[in-house]
Amino acid sequence: MSRKPIIEIRELTKIYTGAEEPAVNSISLEIFPGEIFGLLGPNGAGKTTTISILCGLFPATSGNVTIDGLDSQTDMVKIKQVIGVVPQDIALYPTLSGRENLTFFGNMYGLHGSALRDKIDHYLTEFGLEKHAGKAVGKYSGGMKRRVNLIAGLLHDPKIIFLDEPTVGIDVQSRVVILEYLMEINKKGVTIIYTSHYMEEAEQLCSRVAIIDRGNIIALGNPKELVAEQPRFQNLENVFIHLTGKDMRD
Amino acid sequence: MLFIMPVVLIVISSLMQEFGWSSLTKDPTVQVLFVDNDHDSLSLKIKSGFRESQSFEVIDRLNNNLLTDSTAKNAVKRGEYLVAIVVPKGATSTMRANVRLSVAKTLAGFGIGNPGLVNGIVFKDSVDVKIYFDPTVKKTFKNALISSIRENYYKFQTDWVFKTFNQEIALQMPMYKAPKDAFKEILHFKEEYPSYREVELIPNTSQHNVPAWTIFAMFFIVIPLTQSMIQEREGGSLFRLLTMPVSYMTLLMGKVGVYLVVCMMQTAAMLLAGILLLPLFGLPMLVLGNDILALFVMSMVVSMAAVGYGLMIGTIAKTHQQAAAFGSISVIILAAVGGLWVPIYLMAPFMRTIANLSPLNWAITGYYSIFLRGGNLIVIVPQAIKLLLFFLTTVSITALYYKYKSPLNN
Repeated sequence: MSRKPIIEIRELTKIYTGAEEPAVNSISLEIFPGEIFGLLGPNGAGKTTTISILCGLFPATSGNVTIDGLDSQTDMVKIKQVIGVVPQDIALYPTLSGRENLTFFGNMYGLHGSALRDKIDHYLTEFGLEKHAGKAVGKYSGGMKRRVNLIAGLLHDPKIIFLDEPTVGIDVQSRVVILEYLMEINKKGVTIIYTSHYMEEAEQLCSRVAIIDRGNIIALGNPKELVAEQPRFQNLENVFIHLTGKDMRD
Repeated sequence: MLFIMPVVLIVISSLMQEFGWSSLTKDPTVQVLFVDNDHDSLSLKIKSGFRESQSFEVIDRLNNNLLTDSTAKNAVKRGEYLVAIVVPKGATSTMRANVRLSVAKTLAGFGIGNPGLVNGIVFKDSVDVKIYFDPTVKKTFKNALISSIRENYYKFQTDWVFKTFNQEIALQMPMYKAPKDAFKEILHFKEEYPSYREVELIPNTSQHNVPAWTIFAMFFIVIPLTQSMIQEREGGSLFRLLTMPVSYMTLLMGKVGVYLVVCMMQTAAMLLAGILLLPLFGLPMLVLGNDILALFVMSMVVSMAAVGYGLMIGTIAKTHQQAAAFGSISVIILAAVGGLWVPIYLMAPFMRTIANLSPLNWAITGYYSIFLRGGNLIVIVPQAIKLLLFFLTTVSITALYYKYKSPLNN
């Protein structure tokens, strides 16, 4: 693993208009090429806000972000060409078919013609959707929608993929297909930044995790090492509960 | 639906207006109850005047019974008829007596006749011709009907004044011989419609309706546009689009492009309906102006204004309901204020000032310049510039709102 980070976050802070507390409070982080990095935290911890800033969805209140050597404040359009985003919500047009959705999003990345068609065919086959390619996405099952949602973020072969809860609310089979594919592309060098509430999934998948709570990073490291540091806990979930508490969050 | 419904709207509204227009010009479709208590020249003249105008059907019997004041009044009260006219007993004789006295007093001024006698006589009290109107009757219809009665009355009275003068002079001066052609109508009214076109086009319902409803339909693009924007936002598609290597302005312009094409196709469909479909219903065919380029430019800037307005509402509105309610009602208000339904010249002075602020008014003024006045590109430049500025303003507000206020960016 190269020691030059592909993502550098320096004292990143985000305070939403009208909010009293920062959603992200001066966090600093380095993520290295080829990592599967997990951002874990309870609801409202700041995971989605952090990912949204990294993806250029909205600006930070303060702090610096560098992605693949590019400054997010000046080179966001270039950064967007090397990142892929798989949002938590199903970000697809329900009245368009799976193929039409992928064609539209592929076009938005500058992909056209047979190159795009071949890619779409490849991914539809890979994710077992080839028979449903012409059907409106609104009629897909939850798992099928998640798979198309993932493909839309992969079409342009990004160097870095941000996944916000990619396996939430889907069947086991779809979950396995998605996770196996993520591990496969990670082996080819793609860096993955991933948020999840599934601690077991994160423990298996991630090379490192950061546990965030109330906008602050409260733990950072390899999942196994984090568990090992707390001998009385047997898994990451126990460590997570220990660090973030049992209070339910909004 | 975006294409079919506006076409249906044009056909129905044109048919309705043509029907309304015809009722006052061609077909005697408006029935008038006529109670003749006078049974003399004046009531006959009013009745024949209605018949000759071909605008009204005169009814003097109901269920084979001659109408009376009360039966006619009740029929109107029940809403069975729109109007009833009651000419009172002695109307003609009163008019004749007063005309005769008026002539005698005039001649007495010249020392003709018996000045001492006529100056001491007073005029008879005037008689009232009663008109019962159904409360639903519009003011314009009332005015048209009363004008028709007045016109016939004045013609009759003028004619009677001349006859009486001749009779009185002949009585006082036996050598006087009344000329056979003493009176000739001097004024004739000739309608002309000055326009830029060489061949004069008489305004008709199609020339008025098609542009007005086309603009209305074009601005209703606000509804699908705002719904699509909010659906994109709520469904998460916008989130994905914003993470792609394009700016928000590029995304906006993409939307503008798509909806401009839709608007222009809608316009083409409505103009074609005016040319091909309306004549099938017996309505006048829409005649396009002299300058197709002017028509294209006007349609383009109106479409841009409509799409810009939709973008602005779609960005600012927080929910589907908010966008649908505000979008549709605001378009209806802008249309009403802008003179699409009631002509501006019929509005109160302060409303006329407000009308000039409505983009739909700029649009209809531009279209009327093309369709009714045969104007060219130069003629529509002021309206085109205003609509273009409206588009730029709405897009700027959209971009600024997104930058400083949108929850997606703040």
